[in-house]
Amino acid sequence: MKLEGGKISSSHLTFLIVGFILGSSLILSPGMAAKHDAWLAVLVGLGEGLVFTLIYLTLAMRFPGKTLVQYNDIIFGPYLGKVISLGYLWFFFHLGSLVLRNFGDFLTSMIYPETPIAVFIILTTLVCASAVRNGIEVITRCSLILVVFTVFSVLGTIILLAQDMKFTNLLPVLDLPLKEFIKASHSAATFPFGETVVFLMVIAFLDNVKQAKISTLTALIVAGLLLVLSLLRNTAVLGVTEGIHVYPSYQVIRLIKIAKILTRLEIIVAVNLLTMGFLKISVCYYATVLGLAQLLNLRSYLPLVFPVGVLMVSLSILQFDSVIENIFFAFEIYPYYSLPFEVGFPLLSLIIAIIRGIPKQEEEKGNRKQDSVDNI
Amino acid sequence: MMKVGRFFIKLLILLMVLLSIAGCWNRRELDNLAIVSGLAIDKAEESEKIQLTAQILKPGNLSIAAAGGAGDGGRAERPYWNLTETGNTVFETIRALTHKSNRRLFLPHNEIVIFSEDIAKEGIQKYMDFIIRDHELRRLIYVLVSKGKASEILESKTELEQIPAISISQLIEVRDATSESSAVNLQEFMNRLMSKTTAPIASLIEVVGKEKTALLMGTAVFKKDKLAGFLGREETRGLQWVIGEVKSGIIVVDCPNGKGKASLEIIRANSKITPEIKDDTLHIKVEINEEGNLGEEMCSVDLSKPEVWMSIERRKAVVIRKEVMAALKKAQEWNTDIFGFGDAVHRKYPKLWKYIESQWDDFFPSLEVTVIVKAKLRRSGMITKPAKPE
Repeated sequence: MKLEGGKISSSHLTFLIVGFILGSSLILSPGMAAKHDAWLAVLVGLGEGLVFTLIYLTLAMRFPGKTLVQYNDIIFGPYLGKVISLGYLWFFFHLGSLVLRNFGDFLTSMIYPETPIAVFIILTTLVCASAVRNGIEVITRCSLILVVFTVFSVLGTIILLAQDMKFTNLLPVLDLPLKEFIKASHSAATFPFGETVVFLMVIAFLDNVKQAKISTLTALIVAGLLLVLSLLRNTAVLGVTEGIHVYPSYQVIRLIKIAKILTRLEIIVAVNLLTMGFLKISVCYYATVLGLAQLLNLRSYLPLVFPVGVLMVSLSILQFDSVIENIFFAFEIYPYYSLPFEVGFPLLSLIIAIIRGIPKQEEEKGNRKQDSVDNI
Repeated sequence: MMKVGRFFIKLLILLMVLLSIAGCWNRRELDNLAIVSGLAIDKAEESEKIQLTAQILKPGNLSIAAAGGAGDGGRAERPYWNLTETGNTVFETIRALTHKSNRRLFLPHNEIVIFSEDIAKEGIQKYMDFIIRDHELRRLIYVLVSKGKASEILESKTELEQIPAISISQLIEVRDATSESSAVNLQEFMNRLMSKTTAPIASLIEVVGKEKTALLMGTAVFKKDKLAGFLGREETRGLQWVIGEVKSGIIVVDCPNGKGKASLEIIRANSKITPEIKDDTLHIKVEINEEGNLGEEMCSVDLSKPEVWMSIERRKAVVIRKEVMAALKKAQEWNTDIFGFGDAVHRKYPKLWKYIESQWDDFFPSLEVTVIVKAKLRRSGMITKPAKPE
């Protein structure tokens, strides 16, 4: 039984992961707790994120062509495996709703102050639902166009802001206690780099699994460096005031003023968020729906798209009452909340898989069991 | 049949989307906006209250004033409307203005915000909050302090521009020609306001004469968020030399033989602030590099000789140094670190800074500052010698 017929190439996967990582992180700058060292915190966080990703990749390579939900059953057995899969699915689902919420919060506080947040969340979910119904191949191909635009807009704004940058704002480097710096960099590792754990549901559809490693790591490094560049831009332009802003990247673009003609370009940031957010929400949404279908042994995941979408919309609207709660959650709670899903379970799975020697043992036992898993 | 029906349903949905997609939830049409070009904040007569004046454009009268000025010869109506209201907070007062204005105030095109001298003395951080928090106002608006009432600045008479607020914003932009007043936008002001040691500055403006012309007078200096004093034009340029904001300007020096003056145009200048620790004490070294041309001479000696030329260079350096020292004297007198020396020390000696950060106010007034000026005179214009018989 195949729930997903699409195939994605490894270079397309790179684009999708870049889009996913830049998702909401271009707006809600990670590592802000490190003040003017935010860029360094993100760079260190990228290193930590790369270690996480290596865990995921090693895990994925052991089970080529299978998704996370499928090999959880193999590693932990059919019962415990399903419980753990359910935990992951909750995380993917919640992550999607968090991004949706960021999206809505940004638009309602910066651009459409009087429009109810539900309007943006529902409309975005509809678009994502349509993408999810069309499968991973379509989402991936979207990323190809959207990511190129975002990369150019980040680099373009750096050029336009070059005259406003004061690099002395970045000095002195490492000006805060090591403990706080590590906290900030760890926070950057969990958001956005560690979130690539979602791709354990996607890597299975690569046409050439062997290239998964190189394309994922490339994507992580490219996205991480873009993020570092955007943070350097923010700090160099905004200086100490960066810390009081909800959306520093948006504020930075508002400062562009070239010969009184090239001004008020802030909608670029909104478009970045719109496109990258779409990719991130779609991937999370897709992973939830596909995983749930595999968990419940459905023939198709399409009937789940609508109900999961409705739940996602509801959760994203109900989970926070205010933007302050959202920020508090994102910077204070999320780094610990996401830890079991981003490091704990994947690492545990990998260790158990290595100790039990699966899937090699599985193959030796004969194909009978393997088939029965596949045919359910 | 079924297929056709589905097709039409899809078409209908698409048409509905098409109709709604172009509109916003809360649209505001141009003819319903009161476009604000300047804000002035004064102290109200009642204590703890503010008086806010907003300058609103009257686009209809803009064209009438332009055409009618020459035509009917009559007194054309002013193309702006100054609305005043008092209240407890800035936001409350801005909204309260709609008791008088039939249109809601639209702030994104605001260009300046002026604080009056007496409100600035009491601290302006609390009034800044709305201006930086609201999404309509931009960070590129200029911050000014007025001698006297701020609302009077918005009443000042303008000749080339019809709107006082826009005229003032252009006055600030054209300050590059002399560098004798400060141009401080909200972003820069916030950066200084949030710095632990660097003192905020703002442009100083005053209405003078019977004609009520608005003039830039120099710089208003703040201690934290409270007004500490005013720098005159020369002192302001002294400050601008140190913070590297001198763009152009004229330096007048005495001729080498003492008779007459020569004016030297500044072409470019930059500066470098270096903190140094010598014999266990902190020094600040300020290096200023300036390049300029000879613009005018009224001297009786021939300036085209190298030794005379160099003596003018030296005289120029002395003038620059004098300006810087004048600004430094005032700053140390008021204990306001307008130059950002504290931040420079922080950048160079982050470990030491932790100890002196809280005592910076004790350090600054007696801080030893060495000013090194390298002034170059490059070109002499269209002629080398004055037009007189040899």
